[in-house]
Amino acid sequence: MNRKVLRGLLIIIASVVLVVSAMFVFVIHSEHSELFTGVLYGTIGVLFFVVMAKILSLIQKEGKQDD
Amino acid sequence: MIDISSIPNIPPALIYFAGAALIPLFGKGRVRKIYLIILAALGLIGVAVLKSPAPGGWEFSVSGFELIFLYVDRLSLIMGYIFAIIGAAAIVYSLGVVKENGEFVCGLVYLGSALGAVFAGDLFTLYIFWEIMAFSSLGLIWYSRTERATNAGMRYILFHLFGGCALLAGIIINYMSTGAISMVPGESGIGHFFVESGIGYFLLLIGIGVNTAFIPLHTWLPDAYPKATIAGAVFMCVFTTKTGVYALARTFPGAELSLFGNGIPFVAYIGGVMCLYGVIFALLQNDVRKLLSYHIISQVGYMVAGVGIGTYIGINGGIAHVFNHILYKALLFMCMGSVIYATGRNNLTELGGLAKKMPVTMITCVIAALSISGVVGFNGYVSKGMVIHAAELSHMHILTLALMLGSVGTFLSFLKLTYFTFFRRNDEIEAREAPLFMLIPMSVTAFLCVAFGVYPKMLYEILPYREVALQYHAFAVGHTLSTLELLAMTAFMFFSLRILIMPHDRITYDIDYLYRKAGRGFIWFCEHPLARFAVGVERVVLRIADYFVMFGKNPLRGTRVMIDTVGVALLKPVIFVFNLVIQPVYKYYERDLEAVKMRPVEEMGKMSIGTGLLLILLFFALYLIAMLLHGWLA
Repeated sequence: MNRKVLRGLLIIIASVVLVVSAMFVFVIHSEHSELFTGVLYGTIGVLFFVVMAKILSLIQKEGKQDD
Repeated sequence: MIDISSIPNIPPALIYFAGAALIPLFGKGRVRKIYLIILAALGLIGVAVLKSPAPGGWEFSVSGFELIFLYVDRLSLIMGYIFAIIGAAAIVYSLGVVKENGEFVCGLVYLGSALGAVFAGDLFTLYIFWEIMAFSSLGLIWYSRTERATNAGMRYILFHLFGGCALLAGIIINYMSTGAISMVPGESGIGHFFVESGIGYFLLLIGIGVNTAFIPLHTWLPDAYPKATIAGAVFMCVFTTKTGVYALARTFPGAELSLFGNGIPFVAYIGGVMCLYGVIFALLQNDVRKLLSYHIISQVGYMVAGVGIGTYIGINGGIAHVFNHILYKALLFMCMGSVIYATGRNNLTELGGLAKKMPVTMITCVIAALSISGVVGFNGYVSKGMVIHAAELSHMHILTLALMLGSVGTFLSFLKLTYFTFFRRNDEIEAREAPLFMLIPMSVTAFLCVAFGVYPKMLYEILPYREVALQYHAFAVGHTLSTLELLAMTAFMFFSLRILIMPHDRITYDIDYLYRKAGRGFIWFCEHPLARFAVGVERVVLRIADYFVMFGKNPLRGTRVMIDTVGVALLKPVIFVFNLVIQPVYKYYERDLEAVKMRPVEEMGKMSIGTGLLLILLFFALYLIAMLLHGWLA
């Protein structure tokens, strides 16, 4: 990945973390918390799977998908 | 008008078995196509006219066991309906791609045996059909006629034979301790089969767990399904795992394991693990059918979770998800089959740009992707919501979270699948839309995905606990809104971060890496230490045989050799301890043994047969006298 893409990704991840944190605080302290649980689960979920994919890439082998 | 109630109950398995047996009579042309369409329709009618409770007539007494070949209740009926519907779709789809009669026979026997299993009224009958399913589905893998398919087929059948043995052992042990083999639950519900805790309980669970693809017994699934034939994969994605879920619903609904004094619904948590594990591995796949195979594990996780929760709404949710999943998963395999058929490519890295070239396939695939992702208005949304709702009601928060995350991962990987197959730019690819015989069942199945999503009451009516199902509100505002938010956020994040989950050629190791290592270790053990041990045993046996030959030629010499050999063997270890006393005796035996061995074998003089007989009679008379004397003395 070149520097430009990396910088873009970093900005996106940082913004998402900020939005999610704000949402998390809102969900904890608001009476209407259930309105934003979907956003929260969605964001946490995607980040969870991206991290898991990165961790599992450590046990990947080069080559065509085969037996 | 035909009075449906007058039609007798016939086990649907028989229709497909008879249909498979007659296929060779119809050649390979248009007549065969017409015959198969009629057979698919007959199968559908055969299931549709089944009456519950089934009148007697299909019960047989074998060695004291009452085997019930046809038991009909709400659970077996809903399984029968969906098997017959998708069986008919798979048969029509096959007409476009399958050339050989053998493959049709395997598909029909597989379909028939799956129906036999869900209408079985006892565990022995279930086991018989369970094994027929394993062997007939093996044919669908081997008909690919590639080396990879042959090897995967071997691994597949080894796994299923292990599962079958565990199931049979579990059935027998459970029968010995409880006397129960009948799966007929009575009026109160669907799963009241009595399973006693112990080794039989766990063997039964392992046997069912292999077919249901419990982690870590799942590896046969992503290994074998992508290597099956195009039509074979459509058949395979439907029956094996769902029959497992059916058996689980009959035997282990709401099963609990006592841990620190608390009852843990472990089957439900197994479902949660399956749900996440399948999604994570699906995200890493490049082969489209391997991606779908991992998603079977994940989706079966929802079903296992529903059944494992064990409440009425949980079981309803699990079985509703079986019904819906069969529809959209079969559709996804049909769509990817069409893509492979049209392009000859099966990796995401090689695909793309098919949206305009294969519009019907693209639309049906998008419908299936939206259904499996649980988008509002598609069938997956209804049943997935029901299972998650059941987990919430049972206060199983970790399970609820796992199932919600599974939903996110599913949408993420289907965005990946559809984007990289149809929408990513690829000017090199050449393809034409799939044949009509493939498009018709795809379109009908896509229609059913939408129909059951928009009007879920049709599904509620046939669920095992109808009254409970009718009280469930799939489109409650809060649930609908949070689902839409979740999916919208996932879509946004996918397009923002898709560079991180781009398809690639690398292989991801699964647990089967360990199995294969263990397998190779076992083969090495057989070829080296075990083979050496066998050679040693053979040498000893040959020496004993040699001795007997020598003894037969000259018993006197043989006896002397034996006494000397035993003397040497017994005295040698202690010679150093009692040197002065034992050494002369030991030396004597050793010298004598060498001397006897050096001498050529002299055969003893032979007696005539008459003399031999006289001696035998003499010994016999002596024996009788001794016995008589013993009797008198006693």
